[in-house]
Amino acid sequence: MKPKVAFFDFTCCEGCQLDTLNIEGQDLVDLVSAIDIVEFREVHTGKADHYDIAFVEGSITRESGIERVKDIRARSDMLIALGACAHIGGINCLKNHLEMDEALEIVYGEDAKYYDTIPARPVSAVVPVDFAVPGCPINTAELLRVVKDILLGKTPSLPNYPVCVECKMAGNVCVFERGGTCLGPVIRGGCNAVCVTAGRHCWGCRGLVDDPNLDSQKDVLKEYGLTVDQVVEKFKIYNTYSEVAQ
Amino acid sequence: MREHSVLIVDDEPIVRESIRDWLTEAGYQVTTAETGEEALELVSARDFSVLVVDLRLPGSTGIAVLEAVKAERPWIRTIVITAYPSAETAQEAKRLGAVDYLLKPFAPDDLERLINNTLASIPPEATVIGKAEAPVAVAAPAEAIEVKETFVVDREGLRRLFDGLASSMETIGAVERQGRFVFDRVKQFDDLRLDHDVTVQSPTRYLFPARETMLTMELGATPKTTPTIEATPQVLFGVHPYDLHAIELLDEVFMTKHADPNYISRRQNTVLVGLDCLKPAPKAFAPSMGTDRSDTGFDLLLTDLGGRFMVRVGSQRGADLLAQHTTTTAPTDQDIAMQHSLLDEARAAYGVSLQAPRERLPKLLDDHYDDEYWEERSETCLSCGSCIMVCPTCFCFDVVDEVALDLKTGERIRKWDGCMLTDFAVVAGGENFRHDKASRFRHRIFRKGKYVLERYGMVGCVGCGRCATACLPDIASPAEAFNAIAEKAKIETARRLIGVAAPEQDLYTPKPAQLLRVEELAANEKVFEFAFEDGSTLGHGPGQFVEVSIPGIGEAPISISSSPTRGDTFQLAVRNVGNVTRAMHNLEAGAVVGIRGPFGNGFPIDELEWKDLVLVGGGIGLFPLRSLIQYVLDRRDRFGEVTILCGSRSPADRMFEAELAEWSKLDGIQFLETVDRGDESWNGHVGVITTLIPGLELSPAKTTSVVVGPPIMYRFVIGELKKKGLADEQIVLSLERRMKCGVGKCGHCQINGVYVCQEGPVFTLAELRNLREAV
Repeated sequence: MKPKVAFFDFTCCEGCQLDTLNIEGQDLVDLVSAIDIVEFREVHTGKADHYDIAFVEGSITRESGIERVKDIRARSDMLIALGACAHIGGINCLKNHLEMDEALEIVYGEDAKYYDTIPARPVSAVVPVDFAVPGCPINTAELLRVVKDILLGKTPSLPNYPVCVECKMAGNVCVFERGGTCLGPVIRGGCNAVCVTAGRHCWGCRGLVDDPNLDSQKDVLKEYGLTVDQVVEKFKIYNTYSEVAQ
Repeated sequence: MREHSVLIVDDEPIVRESIRDWLTEAGYQVTTAETGEEALELVSARDFSVLVVDLRLPGSTGIAVLEAVKAERPWIRTIVITAYPSAETAQEAKRLGAVDYLLKPFAPDDLERLINNTLASIPPEATVIGKAEAPVAVAAPAEAIEVKETFVVDREGLRRLFDGLASSMETIGAVERQGRFVFDRVKQFDDLRLDHDVTVQSPTRYLFPARETMLTMELGATPKTTPTIEATPQVLFGVHPYDLHAIELLDEVFMTKHADPNYISRRQNTVLVGLDCLKPAPKAFAPSMGTDRSDTGFDLLLTDLGGRFMVRVGSQRGADLLAQHTTTTAPTDQDIAMQHSLLDEARAAYGVSLQAPRERLPKLLDDHYDDEYWEERSETCLSCGSCIMVCPTCFCFDVVDEVALDLKTGERIRKWDGCMLTDFAVVAGGENFRHDKASRFRHRIFRKGKYVLERYGMVGCVGCGRCATACLPDIASPAEAFNAIAEKAKIETARRLIGVAAPEQDLYTPKPAQLLRVEELAANEKVFEFAFEDGSTLGHGPGQFVEVSIPGIGEAPISISSSPTRGDTFQLAVRNVGNVTRAMHNLEAGAVVGIRGPFGNGFPIDELEWKDLVLVGGGIGLFPLRSLIQYVLDRRDRFGEVTILCGSRSPADRMFEAELAEWSKLDGIQFLETVDRGDESWNGHVGVITTLIPGLELSPAKTTSVVVGPPIMYRFVIGELKKKGLADEQIVLSLERRMKCGVGKCGHCQINGVYVCQEGPVFTLAELRNLREAV
C-alpha cells in the first residue's frame, strides 16, 4: 500500500510546495510511484478523509488557521512541517514585534477592520508535529530523504551540527574572514551551506541547532563590528519565534 | 603465492618442524632454514611474505638476517622468536622492522594468528608507497636519477614539469580566492600560486574527501553490496611540509592495520610535489611540531629560490617524472647556501611557538586531564566543527546509507565527522558519551598532543594554524592550549621548588607493627600476623602488598595473605628465600617490624562481583590469593558460582591445611586440590594444576578467573582457561616483580612503560598482551 500523502498551506509564499513540484525527472516519477498524493491544492482538487502523511507549509497567523490545522492533525497519522514558516515560524513572526492592530493597519489600511490576525507561530506551537523539513525554501533532496526514511521505516533525522560543517566541506572561505557576518555557527546544517557557497552569508532559515552557544555567537558578531541590536536583528529575520530573539 | 609463503629460521629441529607442520596444515607454503647463512641464501634467491626468525642462531644471528632482509626485501614481514628476551634485542628487532616479538615457547596457533594478522594488514598491491606503480604510463627515464638527489630547475622548466603532469592527471594546487588561498584544480601553470602561506582547507581532502561512496548496495530480500573505489590519477602540486607530515600520518592510519582500500587507491594514484613554506601563516607553529621541513613523504620537493627552484627527489616515481618532463641542472654551492638561508629565515619568521618541547606534551596533558582549563576555555566554543573540518590530521568520519527513491538501490557513504560536534559520541537511545563542550574540547586537544602520538607514533598536530584561523571565538589553536597547560605545569613546578607542596612525610618511613602470632606452614614457609602499634588498621584490599622493613637488613615487598574482612590485624605468609624473609622467619611473637603500604592495585573487586569465579592458586601463589578467597567467602552473596583450584608440589608442601579442609567442606563452593607428586599419605588428585581445569563446567560468558602462581604455571593455566572459552579480559593474573620502593619511583618493577607497584601487581591478560616484557 502506498502511503496517502497530502500537502497543505497556511501563511506562506507556497514556495516550498512549488519547490516540491520542481522535483524533476526520474525523481519525480519515482516519487509519485512511491506515494499516493491524495490532496495538494497546487496540483489537483482531490480530497481525502485520512492521510498517512500530511505536509504542512506556512505559519499559523489566524484563529481560523488554528482550527484548520487541528483538524488536519486529527486526520493524519504523521504531520510534517514543511519549510521555515511551518518549522520555526519564519519571517511571518517579524510582525510579532508589533501590536496586532498596528500590523493590520500597516498592511490593510482602512480595510483592516475586515481582517483578523494573531501573533504568528510555527505549526508545532498549535499541534504536535512529528518532524520538520527546514529551510526557506526547503532543500528538496532533504524532503526526498525524509520520504525515503519513512518508506523504509527509519526515523528521519536532521543534522545536529551547524552550517559551518558543510561550509568547510564545501571549501568556502569563511564569511567573517571576508569581512561579512553570518549566522552559520548556530544554525542547523543540512543545506550544504548553499548561501555562503553562492557568495552570501547564512540568514538562519533552518533554525538553531539543538544546543546553540548563542552567547558566544553574539560575542563573535560583536567582535566583527555589530551592535547587540544589529545582532538581534540578524537573528530575528527567521528566528523571532524562538526564545533567543524574544 | 607470495602472500602465503613463510620462511622459518630456527636451529632447534623440534621448533622448526613443529611450526612447519602446523603452518603447512594451515595452508601456508613453508620453507625452513637451520642457520642464518642458509636463511640469507634463501632470501636473496626468492621472495617470502613472512619471515619467522630465531634470534640465537649458529653463525649469523637473527639480527643479521633481519638487517639483510630490511636491505634487500624490505616488504617481507618479519616476526622474531626468542627464548632469551631482552629490551635491547626487542628494540633492535623493532628498529629492523620486525612486526612482532614472540617468546618461546609459544602456542603454534598464536603464531598462526600473528601471521594471519600480519598478512591481513598488507595492502594487496604494495607495501611501500614509493614502490607503487605510477598511475600513468611513465616512460623509462633516459638516465637513472638517484633518489634523494637535488637539482635546480628554472620557472620554465617547472612549467614543463607541470604541463607534463597535467597532460596525464588532474593537477591540484594552491590558488587565490577571496583574499585567501585554497587548493583547487589548476589547469594553467600561471594560475598556480607557489607563494601561499597556508590554504583554508588542507590538501588531505584529495586523499580523504569530505564525502565518498564506499559501497553500492542492492536492497531487498537478497541484499548485495559492492565496494566502490574511485581514484583519478592526480598530482598535488605545492604541498607544504606540514601537510606532507599530515599525509604521512594519514598513511599510517589508513595504510597499516586494517588497510583502507579507498584511501590506498587514492594515495597510490597521487603524486606529491612538495613546496617549502617560506612565508609562514600568522597562526602557524610548524617548527615547534617539527613539521616545517620534510625529509620524506614526497615525490618531489621544491624550494623557491626566487624564480628558480631547488628540486629534491624523494622517490623513484618523482625521479622518473622529473626526468621525463623537464631538464634540470646541478645546484651550485650558492644555490645550496641560498636554500639554507631561506629556510632558516622562514623558520625564524613563525610568530607562534610552543613553550615546552613537544615530547613533553603527552605527560603534560595527562597531568592536567582534570584541570579547569578545559571547562573555562571551551566556554565560548560554538561546537561548529570548523577546527576539525580544516584540520589536515583529522580523519574521523560518519557512515550513512543513502537510497534511491525506488528503494531498490543505494549507496553507503562516508563523510567527515569529528569529536567537536555535539552528537559525535551519541549512541542509539540518546546517551552522549562526550556530552559537554569541555570534554569535547579536551578530547580534541588530547588527540592532537597525546593520543595520536601514542597510537601512531607521529605528532597529531602539524602546527599549520588552520584551526586557529577558522575558529571564530579563537580558542582552537592547539599551541595555545599546549602553552596554557605548559604554563600551569611551570607554575606547579615552581610551587614544588619553593616547598609549598606538602611532601608525604612518611613516604619512606615504615610504621611500627607488632608481630602477634607466627605459625609454620611448611618447611620453608610461615605466616605472620601483625597489628599496628598505634591501633590503626592497614586498610588494604585483597591482592595488595606491603613493604616489610627490618632495620639493618632491609625492606621486601610481601603480599597480604588475609582479607580486610577478617578484623584489624593482617597476615603475611612468607617463604624464607632472602635476607629480609630470613630475618622474618627468625622473629618471635612480640617483635616489632616496620610496614609501609598497602601498595598496588589489588584484585579488581568491582569487576569480580556478581561474576562466577575460578580462583587458581599454585604453590605460594595461594598467599596473595588467600586474601581474595577469604574476602569472597565473607561476602559470598556478592559472587556467583565459586570454584577454587589449589595445587602444591607434594603433600608435604601443602599449606594452610586446616583452611583448605574447611573450604573443601563449604556448601556452594567447588574446591579442587591436586599435588604434582603424590605419596602414601595422599589419596587426593595427583597431577599438575592444569589437569583440574578440563573437567570444570563453566559459563564462560559470566566467568572470571584469577590465577596466582609461578610464571611457568601461568602459561599452561591460561591455555586451559582459554580452551574453556575465557577471553583475555576474563583472566586476571598477579605478577611478581622487584618492587623496591612501592611508590613508583625506583624503577625496579617496571614492565615496559608500566610500574607494577602502581598499575599492578594485578593485571588482566588483555592488559599484559600490550606489555611485551610481562610474561
